[in-house]
Amino acid sequence: MIILDTLLWGGIRFVLTKIVDAVDSELNDEDRLREELLAAQMRFELGEITDAQFAEIERVVLARLREIREERIGATPKPGEFKVTGIEATTWSDEGEDDDRGRGRR
Amino acid sequence: MTRARTTTAGAAAAEPAGNGLDRRYRFFGGKGGVGKTTCAAGAAIVAAERRHRVLVVSTDPAHSLGDALGVRLGAAPRRIPVRGELRAAELDADRALVAWMKMRRPMLGTIAERGTYLDREDIGRFLGLSLPGVDELIGLLALSQLAGDRPYDDVVVDTAPTGHTLRLLEMPDTLRRIASVLDDMQAKHRFLAASLGGGHRTDAADRLIDEIARDGKALAGLLRDPARCAFAWVLVPERLALEEARDGVRHLDEAGIRVAEIVVNRVTAPTPGCPLCAARAETEAQVVDEIVAAFGDRVVRFLPAEEREPRGIVALRRLGRRLAGRAARPTRRRGRRRPGRAPVTPPTATVPAWLDALVPPGVRLCLVGGKGGVGKSTSAAAIALAIARRDPQHRVLLLSTDPAHSLGDVFGARVGDDETRIPGAPDNLRVREHDANRAWERRRDRYRDAVDRAFTTVLRRGGVDVTFDRTVVRELLELAPPGLDELFGLLAVVHALFRGEQPWDTVVVDTAPTGHTLRLLRMPGTALEWVQALLATILKYRAVIGLGDFAADLVDVSRDLRRLDEVLSDPARTRFIVVTRAAELPRRETERLLDSLRRLDVPAPVIVVNAVTRARGLDGRRSACRRCAQAARVEAREIRALRRGRRAHVFTAPLVAPPPAGVAGLEAWSPSWRPEPER
Repeated sequence: MIILDTLLWGGIRFVLTKIVDAVDSELNDEDRLREELLAAQMRFELGEITDAQFAEIERVVLARLREIREERIGATPKPGEFKVTGIEATTWSDEGEDDDRGRGRR
Repeated sequence: MTRARTTTAGAAAAEPAGNGLDRRYRFFGGKGGVGKTTCAAGAAIVAAERRHRVLVVSTDPAHSLGDALGVRLGAAPRRIPVRGELRAAELDADRALVAWMKMRRPMLGTIAERGTYLDREDIGRFLGLSLPGVDELIGLLALSQLAGDRPYDDVVVDTAPTGHTLRLLEMPDTLRRIASVLDDMQAKHRFLAASLGGGHRTDAADRLIDEIARDGKALAGLLRDPARCAFAWVLVPERLALEEARDGVRHLDEAGIRVAEIVVNRVTAPTPGCPLCAARAETEAQVVDEIVAAFGDRVVRFLPAEEREPRGIVALRRLGRRLAGRAARPTRRRGRRRPGRAPVTPPTATVPAWLDALVPPGVRLCLVGGKGGVGKSTSAAAIALAIARRDPQHRVLLLSTDPAHSLGDVFGARVGDDETRIPGAPDNLRVREHDANRAWERRRDRYRDAVDRAFTTVLRRGGVDVTFDRTVVRELLELAPPGLDELFGLLAVVHALFRGEQPWDTVVVDTAPTGHTLRLLRMPGTALEWVQALLATILKYRAVIGLGDFAADLVDVSRDLRRLDEVLSDPARTRFIVVTRAAELPRRETERLLDSLRRLDVPAPVIVVNAVTRARGLDGRRSACRRCAQAARVEAREIRALRRGRRAHVFTAPLVAPPPAGVAGLEAWSPSWRPEPER
């Protein structure tokens, strides 16, 4: 019984630890992505990257952020705005993607 | 000069020039346009003729000392042809800073390199930037150096209008704090040198820190020593000037700088039979009573209004002699009655006919500026009221960025740093007197936490001993940046135009007097350079310190500054309305201001000439005394001179007594503004 308990509890703990790690890494990933976007903004303000280069970075980062959110809540967030470290970012549905691109910059 | 000399001219001539701190300084301060320059120049001429060796210096970035003396002046003192020895100069703070930095830049770089994680490249980037508040930072230092160049007995100082003079006088303490930050940086170097076994020997860096601390201490001592420093507060018998005098003198008292003398300039003599002059004299008499009550414990001197603006040696000498004479109250007028308010029409509040020509619909930023004392705040208030009346849906913010605010006094209401509704004003108008210190403190507190977090991260990652660095950054954060009023004033304008829950449709800015407004308008460029230098540095050390709120803030500021720059040069969205008076000194300053605005590419298509003498008052009564007629002739000539060779539209606003105040008073006055016919 003790062995069974230990195995069972050990197994549950292992799974729980994995879940916690996964959530952590997702959160860290989100933080990292936000910082990437901010760094790109800074480079753009400094004239180190062009408008087009910035738009590309922004597109990739926002898409990845959206994926993470979708994975986490298991559903597509409604189009709307959320704050990314001082940047007004906009999520959009796929059909409106081209029209809305670049709205992140004011 | 009223005080006795303590040295003879012969004995003093043998003295070495020294650092200028042993001279007797006499500062003339006060609201813009009250006659500080003429009083300073007059006092200097009289002192020189009494065999003192005198230097008269202007520290106002918008100098008019040369205009008053009728000579062209520069940073190097120039001999003025009077009996005795008089030299005059207009301080060039930028040049003084360049000269100061030239000798010290390498050593400042060394200290920063020793005491921070920044490398030579980063430090060079920052040391190469221009400083926004240079006049205040370097003004007193440059002044004492100038005074030390020759063996003067007296140094007479014509200062900038109130707000910025108060900043100038704070600078000795700032210098001491700068020395303290540098000393903290150097402390790390001393500690490392000692830890490595070599011990630390005092070197050039320590000597520079000592020098800055010593200069700060010596200047602070000078300002607080009544034997070496006298401060005369100049005002005119008008309510706004009195309110500013109360605030200014209180500030100086609190700082330990004694204001021994109050000069009430341009007191109108009663003229029988003229309703305008009689109303003025009565309004003034009431203010004079209050001046005596407020400053009865000091010497209060009165100077009569002159028909012509005192200009040139002869007129200034006359004024200076009066200033040195016995202090006496003007004779009280018989049969005085309490002045009524300005003739107030019932507040049907029509939109004045001039509004669309002055501020067309679509203008988002309306800057109202000019020489001190010309009536900027009153005009800005009248304009903001008119814009708000034009369209009740249009949200208007009237924002004062002058550190010596007057909007509350103009409206006769309590106005503060929050957007305030004025009783009786339309509901779509709010008024704010921007408090730069508060804005700075808010940001500083926010960054202080961020700094602590950043240092904790660094400690966790590398385990580096950061005790010294943390102290340095904390002290740096305590050090208010020079040009604080302009920097945060500008950010307040940006916030009102582009940010907040609902940006304002039009922002009317009641600006500081000329010199500092020009500094505000140059600020977007200067601030952007600083923001970019900071962005580049943060990006470089990103792996160590991360990015965080500060970087995000800087990105926002960078974007806003670029947007503001676009708006500022767009005639459809921006108007600088230059307010002036029809007299020679304001006219000359206005001409220089218009030239500067053109160089800065800021649209300034309209000039408002305030306080012109008209034959009929608002109540229709005729003002026909000899003095009014003479004043009207001089004013007409000045307006013609102002228009010569310029395309700007000129509007005139009449002189009324008592001056327009309160919503009803302003709205009774503003419909009488009218365009001067084009020739």
